[in-house]
Amino acid sequence: MFLRKHTSAVMFFLGISLAPLLVPDHADAIPAFSRQHKTECSTCHTIYPELNEFGDAFLKNGYVWPHKKGEAAKGTEPAGNEWAAISGLPQQIPISLTASADLAYDEDAADGNKLDLSARSVTLQAGGSFRDLVGFFVTYNLYSQGMQRASALSTPAENTNVPPGNSPDLDELFLVWRQAAGTPVNVKVGRFEPKLSLWKKSNRILPVPSYASTTYRVGLSPFSSDATEDGVELNALLGNRLFVAGGVVDRNGGDRKDGYGHISYKIGGTDLKGQEPEVDLEHDSVWDFLSVTLGGFGYWGQNGEFDANGIAQNVNNFRRIGAEADILYKRLHLKGSGSFGRDSNPDFSVLATSVDSRAYTLEGEYYLGAPVNLVPLFRYEYLNAGYGAIKRFTPALAYAPLQNLRLSLEYTHSIAPEGTGNIAFASIAFSL
Amino acid sequence: MKKLLVTMLLVAATATSAHAGLKVIGRGDAMRLDPSSFPPAMKANYEIVRVKCVKCHTLERTIVAIQTGVAPISGQPFDRSATKAYGVKMLRKPDSNMNKAEVKASVDLMNYLLSESEK
Repeated sequence: MFLRKHTSAVMFFLGISLAPLLVPDHADAIPAFSRQHKTECSTCHTIYPELNEFGDAFLKNGYVWPHKKGEAAKGTEPAGNEWAAISGLPQQIPISLTASADLAYDEDAADGNKLDLSARSVTLQAGGSFRDLVGFFVTYNLYSQGMQRASALSTPAENTNVPPGNSPDLDELFLVWRQAAGTPVNVKVGRFEPKLSLWKKSNRILPVPSYASTTYRVGLSPFSSDATEDGVELNALLGNRLFVAGGVVDRNGGDRKDGYGHISYKIGGTDLKGQEPEVDLEHDSVWDFLSVTLGGFGYWGQNGEFDANGIAQNVNNFRRIGAEADILYKRLHLKGSGSFGRDSNPDFSVLATSVDSRAYTLEGEYYLGAPVNLVPLFRYEYLNAGYGAIKRFTPALAYAPLQNLRLSLEYTHSIAPEGTGNIAFASIAFSL
Repeated sequence: MKKLLVTMLLVAATATSAHAGLKVIGRGDAMRLDPSSFPPAMKANYEIVRVKCVKCHTLERTIVAIQTGVAPISGQPFDRSATKAYGVKMLRKPDSNMNKAEVKASVDLMNYLLSESEK
């Protein structure tokens, strides 16, 4: 009875109590980029999958080690690797696998299944570059929890103890032509997350749930600003600290393309090309440790309800405008994100009714660091997608006993027009 | 001819003694420096490096960079400006556990070792 009433608290303290038992002798990070560059995961990540400053520079540089300029063309390959230099093929198969298993406790679960243990996702990733000229990245969802219960209930024969997964799905597949034709412009083509937010949704300490400000949907419209889409994007680093991106997205059924733009500027800290700031080692300055990145974005699109011919009708024209800030000071990391939107017909109704929406996310993280690789985190979210305000408060702990293994405990208290909700969530994820 | 031979022997002997400051013990992950010939200040700095830097990487990475003048991961030159940049990088790394004095000591040691290896 006690356990039933206090399951979330028991989970929380059990996790805390057991965490020190998992402390390893040494870090042992092995995913694809780590293998390729023969360096540890912490080169690019704080607690994986969140990127640190250098990791962000690596990402913006098209998955090529920052500071490298045209080395591949200079024939620097050691003897015996001529084939790699000529073909441009990576010398190792650049594939990683990420898996997570979650335990959720929802006091108000709609189907009465309050305690839910299920493998949430298995994802294949590939990334690297061809002769440093073209970067590539692939994310393929082998399995995700999705609508498992619904499908199981509708087919009694499949109602086993193992939840069926969603169909395999290609989430990302894109190429980046780095510094195209000698210009600072990178050309990204394929399926990717349009560059709107400062943070890619998969590069946060707690990837689930995603930020309300970038993930919310309005009415029946399936659009969210962090969803991957097929498109072409041009982006460029200007003056080492200014990053701009803009692109067009090809949405099925529409008679025009969606468009978007992003601009961000970083003050202090490692610049966007991975170069360290000038620091006086004899005297202290607040800028020794402080960096502030400010960003803004806009997205303009159109979607609708498909008819029998796959043509969108009862069209919804929508836009999102957002502003974000990322502040890093020593071990304290603060993130703020706000998004405002307008949808002309989000319910794809014959009689269009426009909806204004807005969402904010504020998150603070503090790295306790060695020998306790623990990050306490607090997130506050506000969302009003036209149907009343929802507030979410999420305290969480993330722990990385190994650089490629992350345990997290979250508790979310939600206040919505229809009532309050409480969900406790424990997750273990690893990459290899 | 005799003078030339003597001169060459002297040069060779000098070169050998210059590398005494970079006396390396062990191989691979166990590689470390023998600080017995270091000045006292550098011995103290080496102790900081020996304890702090191995949290994230082996000493082999640092020693190879100093010996070759090339940073093994990035392939970029490992000179005095690079030592400071790496020091600043570690200073700003949230979980490096290094304060400014320790980073300065590490940079000073690497610069000293670079000078010794250049002799």
